[in-house]
Amino acid sequence: MSSRPVPGLLPWFACFAVFGLIPLLAALVLSFYSMNPLRPDLTHWIGASNYARAIGSPAFWHALRTTGIFVVGTLPVTLILSYIVAALLGRLRRGEALFRAAIFFPATLSMVVISLVFKSLYAEQGLLNGWLAALGFPRIHWLQDPRLALPSIMAMDVWASVGYYAILILAARKTLPLEQLEAARLEGLRPLQVERRIVLPHVKPVILFVVLLNTIRSFQIFIEVFVLTRGGPLDSTLTLVYHLYERAFYHFEMGYACAIAYILLALVGGILLLQRRFLSRSPAGAAAP
Amino acid sequence: MSRAGWALVAIAVLSIAPLIYMARVSLGVGSSLPIAPSDWWTGGLTLDHYRALVSGSGIGRFAINSLIVTGIAVPLQILLSAAAGHALARSRFAGKGVTLGLATAFLILPRQVTLVPLYLLFAKLGLLDTYAGLILPHLADPFGVLFMAHYYQTLSPELEEAARTDGLSPRAIFWRIVLPLSGPGLAVVGVNGFLTTWNSFLHPLVLTTSESMRTLPVGLALFAQAEHSVDWGALLAGSTLATAPVLLAFLLFQRQIVEGLLQGSGR
Repeated sequence: MSSRPVPGLLPWFACFAVFGLIPLLAALVLSFYSMNPLRPDLTHWIGASNYARAIGSPAFWHALRTTGIFVVGTLPVTLILSYIVAALLGRLRRGEALFRAAIFFPATLSMVVISLVFKSLYAEQGLLNGWLAALGFPRIHWLQDPRLALPSIMAMDVWASVGYYAILILAARKTLPLEQLEAARLEGLRPLQVERRIVLPHVKPVILFVVLLNTIRSFQIFIEVFVLTRGGPLDSTLTLVYHLYERAFYHFEMGYACAIAYILLALVGGILLLQRRFLSRSPAGAAAP
Repeated sequence: MSRAGWALVAIAVLSIAPLIYMARVSLGVGSSLPIAPSDWWTGGLTLDHYRALVSGSGIGRFAINSLIVTGIAVPLQILLSAAAGHALARSRFAGKGVTLGLATAFLILPRQVTLVPLYLLFAKLGLLDTYAGLILPHLADPFGVLFMAHYYQTLSPELEEAARTDGLSPRAIFWRIVLPLSGPGLAVVGVNGFLTTWNSFLHPLVLTTSESMRTLPVGLALFAQAEHSVDWGALLAGSTLATAPVLLAFLLFQRQIVEGLLQGSGR
C-alpha cells in the first residue's frame, strides 16, 4: 500500500472529469439559462424558468405519461416471462448452455438493429401483415395507428429484454444450496410449492433489482422511438428522452433540454432512493447506488 | 422431451427467429419485404445487397467508421481501466472514496444528462464530426475501472511486493507483473467495452453532423428514415453486418459478457 499520488489513476480520471463530471455539472448550470448555440450572444440567466416551463408543458407531462404506460405495460410481462424462462433453464438437465445462449443473445444486440428488424416485421408489407393477409385478416397499421404504436414498441421491448433479466434471475437461482431444495422435496413439497416457499424468497432481491432496472431503463427509452416512430403518430410514443432530444437538437433550446435532463435525473434518483429503502444490498454489486 | 423442454425450444426459437428473418431478407432478391410466408422459403438467395454495401452505399463507410472508433476506443479503455483500477485497489490517497463513489454513481445515472454539454463542448473544441469526438466520451466510462479495482482486490499483492523489494520501478511492475496477471479481468472489460462502443447510438448521433462520419448504428437508423421507400434488403444487410461482430464476440466470450452484465455493465 502506498499513499503517494497515483499516476495510474490520472489518464482515466482526466477523461472521466472532462467528459463525465464536468458535463454533468454544466448541464445543471445550463438548465438555469436560456441558450441557443446559433445565437450565443443572447445566452442569459433565467433562474428556474426552464423548470417552471417543463412543469407547465403538456408535452412534458405527456412524455411522462407515456413512460408510465410503458413501465406499467412492460414490467409485469417482462418480469413474469423472465422468471419462467429462468425457472425452465434452471430445471434443465442437459443443453442448458445452448438454450441459455439462444435466449440471452438478443440482449447483446444493438437496439438500432433490433428496432430495424421489428420495423420490417411491423411494416405495411411486413411479415406480420403478410401472415395476417394469408389467414384472411385485414392488415394492421402497427406503427401508424396512435392506439397501437406504443404497444407495438412495448412488445418489442419485452422481446429484447426477457433474455437479459432471465440471466440475472437464473444467476440468483444458482446460488440456492441444492441440499435445501433436496430437503424440501424429501418433506414432500410439490414443485410449485418449492418454487413459492423456497426459490421465490431466495431470488426476491434480484426480482426487486429487475423491477428497478426495468423502470430506470424505461425512463430512458430513445432509440426505439427514434427508429420506429419519431415520437408519433400524434405524439403517442413521445418519451422523455426523445422530447429532450427534439428540444435540444431541432429547436436548439439547450437550457430547456438540460432542465428536462435534470428532471429525468431527479426521477431516476428518486426511484433509486425508494429502492434503497426496500433493499439493503443489490445483487449486482457494482450497479448498486 | 419434457413439456418444459418444449417450452424452452419455443422460447429459444422466438428469440432467434427475428434475426434469422433479418439475415434471410438481407440475402433476398430486390428491396421489398417478402410479403407472403411462402416467400420465406421459395425466394432466391443472392449476395447483391452485400455487394452494394461494399461498393456504393454509405453503409460500408459507416461500418469502417464503427471499426475505427471501436478499434481505438476499446484498447484504450482496457489500458485506462487496468491502470486506474490498479491504482484504486493498491493505493490509499485522499479522495479515493469520493472517486469510487462518483464512478459508481455514474454507472447508474442516465447518460443523456451529459449530452447537451458534451455537444457544446465538442462544438467549441472543433471535435464534432471527428474520430476523436466519437472516441473520447467512451474513455470516461467507469465500468471498466470499477470492475478492475474489484479484480485487483481479489488478486494477492505478494508478487508485486516481491518485485518492489527486487528494485523494480512501479511502472515496470505494472507492465511486467500486473498486466500479465490481468487477462481474465481485462477480457470482461474488453468485450463489454466492445459491445457498448459498437452499439452506442445517442452520443454518436449528436456528435456527428456529416454523413461520412456516421457510425454504423447511426447511419442505419438515419438510412431507415429516407423519405422515399425504404430499401429493406440493403437496410437488413447493414443490420446483419452490424450483428456479425457481436455474434462473434458472443460466441467467444459469452461467459465474460454475462459476468459483465451481472456486475452492472451494459445498461
